[in-house]
Amino acid sequence: MESEDNEVALIVVVDDEFLLADYLASLLTDEGHEVVTAAHGRAGLQLIRERKPALVITDFMMPLMTGLELAQALAADAELADLPIILVTGGQGLIARDHGELFDEIFDKPYDQSLMIEAVQRLTAAPKTER
Amino acid sequence: MVEHLTRLTTGVSGLDAILGGGFVEGASYIIQGSPGAGKTILSNQIAFSQAASGHPVLYVTLLAETHDRLFQSLSTLSYFDNTALGDKIKYVSVFQCLRDEGLDSVVKLIREETQRQSARLLVFDGLLNARDRAETELDVKTFVATIQSQAAFVGCTVLFLTSTRLQESNPEHTMVDGVLDLSDELIGERTFRRLQVRKSRGSAALSGFHQFLIDDNGVTVFPRLEAFLPVPSINAPPSSARIQTGVNGLDQLIGGGLPEGSVTILMGPPGSGKTSLSLSFFSLASASQPALYFGFFETPERLIMKASSFGLAIDPLISSGAAEIIWNPLTENIMDKLAHQLLAAVKRSGVKRLIIDGLNGFERAAVTPGRLVEFFASLTNELRALNVTTIMTWEMREIYGKAGTSPLPDISALLDNLLVVRSEKAASTTRRLFSVLKLRNSTFKPSDFELEFSASGLSISCADESGVTEPEKG
Repeated sequence: MESEDNEVALIVVVDDEFLLADYLASLLTDEGHEVVTAAHGRAGLQLIRERKPALVITDFMMPLMTGLELAQALAADAELADLPIILVTGGQGLIARDHGELFDEIFDKPYDQSLMIEAVQRLTAAPKTER
Repeated sequence: MVEHLTRLTTGVSGLDAILGGGFVEGASYIIQGSPGAGKTILSNQIAFSQAASGHPVLYVTLLAETHDRLFQSLSTLSYFDNTALGDKIKYVSVFQCLRDEGLDSVVKLIREETQRQSARLLVFDGLLNARDRAETELDVKTFVATIQSQAAFVGCTVLFLTSTRLQESNPEHTMVDGVLDLSDELIGERTFRRLQVRKSRGSAALSGFHQFLIDDNGVTVFPRLEAFLPVPSINAPPSSARIQTGVNGLDQLIGGGLPEGSVTILMGPPGSGKTSLSLSFFSLASASQPALYFGFFETPERLIMKASSFGLAIDPLISSGAAEIIWNPLTENIMDKLAHQLLAAVKRSGVKRLIIDGLNGFERAAVTPGRLVEFFASLTNELRALNVTTIMTWEMREIYGKAGTSPLPDISALLDNLLVVRSEKAASTTRRLFSVLKLRNSTFKPSDFELEFSASGLSISCADESGVTEPEKG
């Protein structure tokens, strides 16, 4: 069975566009993960600090704190610096790739959901120290 | 002292003129219209134009549609610039914020984000959705008031987009500085896109409807000509010079040619020689008298071929830039678009000889024929001020017999000269007769002349009642 060796991971999804956030949340919930969402980077950062997830999936262009600013804030926080981050971007792939070191994966919308699931499994399966 | 308000230019052709120079900086506007009316294309065009000038823009949506779908549809338009996204233009959705936390939180979020982005322009797409969420009208009023005052405080102009047509009594309507109404109306079998500035505080906008179109370049608005040019753009003294017609024998009959800067209507039934006469006038194009043939019927190639059949070589004139032919087929035209296209071409090459073949082309493109008189008054006044000598053809129905009255008597009064060509059956042949009915500041012989075609051009000679022609004495 496909999910047998998968860990149940807590994932924070940060996206101001609720359709995309809800869709991704359902997709990952179906894969057996626990998902919580935030509507912008600032709420996302707060949620991450409270819940200490195994993975963050964030949009780029958001109010109050962009995906890039969120990744920078996490990198600057000793406790959260190792947290894996997947960036999902619309037209801003280029800006994001200038800061490629902050992200474990960068997906351009629209993305192939099986590749997303693969990336999520890989990043949540690996113990943090081995990354 | 009259204070001039700083303007935010729209980057939409025609719209700044209608708004009196653009949006007032720091003011707020409602852009309303039914779905498909062009609100999103228009407001994004303004946003990208601002971004291209280096001014940051915040585009806030309250819609279910994802931004990617929006970008996908905008990507077909020439103004769309992928590299501005997330940089000079930031699109954010406040749908979740509204759903989870309410209008107050949206207001707070927009305030912070406007400052973070140093936005000069804020577009808020989905005022209707904000209304749904509001408990009372007071809430919406407070929402709009707060958004606009916090934006005005930092000099940011606000565009609220809504798909409902708000009545003038709506609280939003009374609060904002301006309201732009976009509509897409079916008239007969055809739809017309029209823009109207319903409210414009602190600034005189051009009133009434202005037609616009949406193509790969986004929105282009054509200010209603008589509102755009109520008086000519320049004040030029009248000229007493004469412009040669190119028809052998005609200039002597009318005092040396057509009065410079006059408008002539050339009436006649099909096949009577209107186009040939026009081409003769056109063929005298030169570097000092550039010519424009603005036609609706023959293609440029056919006109050139027709001219060569009576010895006129048009090709070299076009190659040298002395002459230009613009052809708008008689399909679906927009009357004001035609006028703006015509005037732009006249100004571009400093046209002195203009043929409009014919007036019917404008008449067919009129949505409301009732405004033709005002339209032509504005157009002909401008052409006179630019010192353009114009011949406009007018197609009449009767093929044979005496010329009737002008089909548009109100328009005849706006013209300086009235020339008529007609066909007359004499025995087994058909003669083409030419007469002058009106000529500005000139004496002329009010009799019939015969128009003759030969390989060396058109000529005019005296025609008596018996049909025997005699050469006209100069």
